[in-house]
Amino acid sequence: MKILFYFTILFSSAFIFSAGEYRCGSMECDYFEADVSDKASLQRGLSTYMNYCYGCHSLKYSRYKRVAEDLLIPLEMYENNLIFDGSKIGELMEISLTKEDAINWLGAYPPDLTLEARLRRPDWIYTYLRNYYPDSSRPYGVNNKVYQNVNMPHVLEDMQNNLSQSEYDQVIYDLTNFMTYVADPSAEQRKRIGIYVLLFLIIFTAFAYMTYREFKKDLK
Amino acid sequence: MQPKSPPNPGRRKFLTYTTSFLGIIGAFFTAIPFVSAFKPSAKAEAAGAPVKVDVSKLLPGEMMTVEWRGRPVFVVNIPEENTNFITKNLERLADPDMEDPSQPEYAKNEIRSRKKGIAVLTGVCTHLGCAPKYYPEAKPEDFDSNWQGGFFCPCHGSKFDLVGRVYANVPAPTNLVVPPHFFEKDNLLVIGSDGVS
Amino acid sequence: MSENTIGKKSLNWVDKRFPVIDLFERHLSKYYSPSNINIWYLFGFLLLIVLVMQILTGLWLMMNYTNTAEGAFSSIEYIMRDVDYGWLIRYMHAGGASAFFALIYLHMFRGMMYGSYQKPRELIWVGGWFVYVLLCAEGFTGYVLPWGQMSFWAAQVIISLVGSIPFFGEDLAIWIRGDYIVSGITLSRLFAFHVVLLPILIIAVVFFHILALHEIGSNNPDGIDVKKHTDQDGVPLDAKPFFPYDISHDFYALGVFLLIFCTVIFFFPEGGGYIIEYVNYEPANPLSTPAHIVPSWYYTPFYAMLRAIDFPLFGLTAKFLGFVVMAAGIAIFAALPWLDRSPVKSIKYKGIFSKVFLAGFVISFFVLAYLGSVPPTETKNMLAKVFTFLYFAYFLLMPFYTRFEKCKPVPERVGDAA
Repeated sequence: MKILFYFTILFSSAFIFSAGEYRCGSMECDYFEADVSDKASLQRGLSTYMNYCYGCHSLKYSRYKRVAEDLLIPLEMYENNLIFDGSKIGELMEISLTKEDAINWLGAYPPDLTLEARLRRPDWIYTYLRNYYPDSSRPYGVNNKVYQNVNMPHVLEDMQNNLSQSEYDQVIYDLTNFMTYVADPSAEQRKRIGIYVLLFLIIFTAFAYMTYREFKKDLK
Repeated sequence: MQPKSPPNPGRRKFLTYTTSFLGIIGAFFTAIPFVSAFKPSAKAEAAGAPVKVDVSKLLPGEMMTVEWRGRPVFVVNIPEENTNFITKNLERLADPDMEDPSQPEYAKNEIRSRKKGIAVLTGVCTHLGCAPKYYPEAKPEDFDSNWQGGFFCPCHGSKFDLVGRVYANVPAPTNLVVPPHFFEKDNLLVIGSDGVS
Repeated sequence: MSENTIGKKSLNWVDKRFPVIDLFERHLSKYYSPSNINIWYLFGFLLLIVLVMQILTGLWLMMNYTNTAEGAFSSIEYIMRDVDYGWLIRYMHAGGASAFFALIYLHMFRGMMYGSYQKPRELIWVGGWFVYVLLCAEGFTGYVLPWGQMSFWAAQVIISLVGSIPFFGEDLAIWIRGDYIVSGITLSRLFAFHVVLLPILIIAVVFFHILALHEIGSNNPDGIDVKKHTDQDGVPLDAKPFFPYDISHDFYALGVFLLIFCTVIFFFPEGGGYIIEYVNYEPANPLSTPAHIVPSWYYTPFYAMLRAIDFPLFGLTAKFLGFVVMAAGIAIFAALPWLDRSPVKSIKYKGIFSKVFLAGFVISFFVLAYLGSVPPTETKNMLAKVFTFLYFAYFLLMPFYTRFEKCKPVPERVGDAA
């Protein structure tokens, strides 16, 4: 009987560990570990996003107010500096670019990126943004090692040219960190509550175990 | 089998009670997310955010209806020459001194507003929720031969004066509710917020 | 305590009109369970808890979900972001689905191991099997609701399977979809099934399952009939009342289960892509299939069988045959009580063949689960064929090997077990 049990463990572990094949296009993903508790990093990332990405890529499942509150930005400051189209603070972060215009001007509709970090994973985004290279055969003169023949121009090109490698990496880190946050804004609250829940359950289980043992004595 | 009797009944009692108690606590905490999920969501809150109204174009005697949290809010420009009703006819009102807390503290004054001449009233009859009609003129009406001007509810005949004070002997029990409001600028009324005080 | 306290009085008042005391005794304080049952007997209780949790969280999700193609995807994000604790309720529901299947597989395996399906518990087993089938349907319909890429293409693939039925399959598939492709119309009806029809059926059959169990009583790891030996009061000698002995054990198990479950939903709510697939964070797009489609982990063994059948046979197309084999893989559980001809119940006393075949079944289940979750290759397809064969061998050869193998004698009483 025991042998069945060991087989079960063996095969289930093989099953779980086999899922890890993950590649960033033509290369291995760079190491990236988000830190959504670093509010300064998230604020810098938000600023980069709003100035370089938000023209084309909406964050339409998120609300300005939630972002402001989670990133500890005063609402008034947020309204004055980071809302460009007169939207109200409680509204969704939608953009005015229409599908038709986008296809006419850009050839494709830039996707909403609220959930990008959950869809492609943060390390993919981080690697992707750091791996543009010049390619004169492409319409914008650039190509990407992670996403071959991508339609998106390298919007951070000027920035990359003006910054050192480590400064640019920091910008991309902050941006990816922000996108990780916005894809799953409840993550911090979830983990905080989770600790208390587990602590409570340990106590409950300990008492339930002692009660079980107590009753078991009758049956000896 | 017939179970033996417990070797230590005190211990058993303690453990059973503690475990049950912890179970109840756990159930209570589990209920929190379910109860909280019933609160207005961020979407409802955004839709119910304060609204800004420019009252500079509201002429004396005119009323405009503004929607806040899905309900009508009446904004009335009460002409200065017409304000004697505030002290007249008090014997016909049910609660002229505004004992009932149907207005914020700052509006518990004779004009029931933050600004003289502008009344801000939730247009929901305190009887059963119909929207009262606006009859500004002090002249005999079908429903009141001695009408002083104000609001009349067509559903069940409740009567209110121009600042929303309810008449005695009508179905509505209390004055019309004054929503939280403040003036951001002279003519810029914000409904739904007390403003920074 | 006197007979005249208010509590006693009102209890008596109710009891004269509704048999509360009788019900309490019959199902709890005088429901006897064998004294030798082990941890494999805890999963039924946990399943019941998970069922209640799924109903509650589902009810709450339904309040904020939009069942249209245009609104479904964003309503999920609305729940995750705008509704207070909506994220928690959804993670509980999504994690609960996986927990439900994990527990039901363990629960079913217990039955197979200890012969709990044998006479006189055939109907308990068949009822349980029916709950499992309903749960598969419930899981599938629920999976479609977020209307992401995985949702859409899973619906597309599964409903297309129906199209493989000869003669009227295509028409049937269109009838099920209510459209020529999977669309908002399909979503709407799957939603109705998910929140009304299937839950009602599941609750009804679970009720039947428990009622039937309480009529006959639990089996045990030795397969001993504990009702045979009773004392002068008619109390079985090798059994103990459910309340408080089993319930205290169940609560301990609940604590352990919740520790694992809450670790997952609070710290790994996506379960590495096994509970919530990453691809499902992209809205449904009928014009582009994701590179790698896999079903949820709990269906992968059957998905592997479907893919393993890539040859036509007896004039049936490979597609239809695959569908038949997959359906048979699920349906065949129901036949177990009649396939097993062994004089003993538990694997402990069965012969070597039963042990080997059961081990073969478990291995093939896990291997197929793995194969169903990875992209197919030629070797993997070959493996899938071998293990599909092994899977069915456990069932189809059972009438033979259980009859001819040499079993050990089953002890009379629990204490006599070696």
